[in-house]
Amino acid sequence: MLGMADGWITVAWLGTILSAVFCVIYSLVMWNKGDD
Amino acid sequence: MNLPVLIIMLFIYTGIMTYLAYLGNRRTRTEEDYLVAGRNAHPLIMALSYGSTFISTSSLVGFGGVSALYGFGLLWLALLNIVVGVFIAFAFLGVRVRKLSVELGASTFPTLLGKRYQSRFVTVFSGLMIFVLMPAYTSVVLIGGARFLEESLSMDFHLALWVLAILIAAYVISGGLKAVMYTDTFCAVVMLLGMVILLFAAYQSVGGVIAGHEGLTAMKNMVPPSLAEQGHQGWTAMPSLGSPLWWTLVSTMIMGVGIGVLAQPQLIMRCMTVKNKRSLNRSVMTGGVFMFFMTGAAFMIGPLTNLYFKNTQGKISMAVANNNIDSIMPIFIKEIMPEWFLYLILFTLLSAAISTIVSLFHVQGSAFSEDIIKTLGINLRVKNPLFLSRIGVFLGMFAAVVLAYLLPGNIIAQSTAFWYGLCASCFLPALIGALYWKRATRQGAIASMVAGFVVSAFGFLFLHAKEAKAFGLAKTLFGMDTLLAYPWTHVDPLFYALPIATVVFVVGSLLTNKSIKKDSKMAEELS
Repeated sequence: MLGMADGWITVAWLGTILSAVFCVIYSLVMWNKGDD
Repeated sequence: MNLPVLIIMLFIYTGIMTYLAYLGNRRTRTEEDYLVAGRNAHPLIMALSYGSTFISTSSLVGFGGVSALYGFGLLWLALLNIVVGVFIAFAFLGVRVRKLSVELGASTFPTLLGKRYQSRFVTVFSGLMIFVLMPAYTSVVLIGGARFLEESLSMDFHLALWVLAILIAAYVISGGLKAVMYTDTFCAVVMLLGMVILLFAAYQSVGGVIAGHEGLTAMKNMVPPSLAEQGHQGWTAMPSLGSPLWWTLVSTMIMGVGIGVLAQPQLIMRCMTVKNKRSLNRSVMTGGVFMFFMTGAAFMIGPLTNLYFKNTQGKISMAVANNNIDSIMPIFIKEIMPEWFLYLILFTLLSAAISTIVSLFHVQGSAFSEDIIKTLGINLRVKNPLFLSRIGVFLGMFAAVVLAYLLPGNIIAQSTAFWYGLCASCFLPALIGALYWKRATRQGAIASMVAGFVVSAFGFLFLHAKEAKAFGLAKTLFGMDTLLAYPWTHVDPLFYALPIATVVFVVGSLLTNKSIKKDSKMAEELS
């Protein structure tokens, strides 16, 4: 998939992008959470 | 490159950095300002300072070159950098580190551990490890920066070394952590600009994402026989399971650096600089995106260089760079990018070096004054409490420069792996225990730190081939490069030192339970 020869590499390539996206979503969701 | 233009740009760059250090100086009034930036840093500044401290020139050029050799498998490290190095470090460990440090009144990582375990030994041992051994890591980052100045400005290497070290030490001494974090943030912005442009240009140079990956997959038959014997299966596949290449990639590169980041004193203490949990949650976004465009981009670009050079010269990257792994990224950048970008990438890599060294100097300074001198109760009769920290910065700088003269130039990767592995084995069980386990005891922590240090050092000196050969101690004492045969020669010491230190910590704590009369309130609440 994605032109890679190995599924583990596809997971790593996609995972790197998605984990950065996750960090953005996490911050936005938690923006005002947590006692001051 | 036009040298006069470059020199003018360098003056402007130095001017901006000096102004930011001056700003840090103006806003530093108390010891807490100097050590933890007054505990009110902006989430954006904290995240960018953390990221640029983590990423040095060798992360981009050195490890980028390594990914050109190994392939996309190194992206597992980029993934861990984001998930472990940012998300877990900020949202989980960071939240507790910040709260515990406020509660215990700790301004440094060794003091945090020492106060939690009510042990001066823990503080002094950690402080000594930072003050004595960290210069080995600082010096290789310094070598990376000085080599770069040498190549780009045709400057004498030793002169570049001293100029860089003295300039950076002056920033730290003048403005403490505020100056460090302000200059870090400027460096991070320059780094982001350079790497974002480079990532898109690299994919464009090989015809796009899918076409690039497919072209690289089709190059499997160009893997050199020597690498294929070691387990290389092409640049879009992992090395074969259990092969020497697999062990090096997984145990040293991915696990060693990916997990080791959690125990880096200069990174952990960044979480003490923000005001509250909310700030840490907001930092996750900036940290994650920054890390993606640093290691994520570098490890995507590295393998693609093989396809670009195959299309243009019919050779793989290692052949184009005459087997010098550190030359791959610079050669590729010069080939595909316009001249104006070369100036930007030069400042990107210079910023990567400076932002890391500036933080290492600061941590070494505070280890000397706060963790060693103050904890041991040595009275040096100085009026200004920050004077000792500044002396520590100067001593750390001097040690790093001297080591840069002594260390061979090709030891950057080994020295980095050594420092990361040692910190993880030594500090990680005690740190996790301090934050998450109320039954963790002083004896358990001390035993685990000593065990982690001894086992890790033994592994690096006598078992792991790359470092053992470089140190040469096994050869001198026993007449052989390493004491055990494969796979131990390729298994990173972190792989066995960290589990051993963890077992020692748990067993030691269970056997000596109730030794700490009064656990910290937070540890009671949270466990």
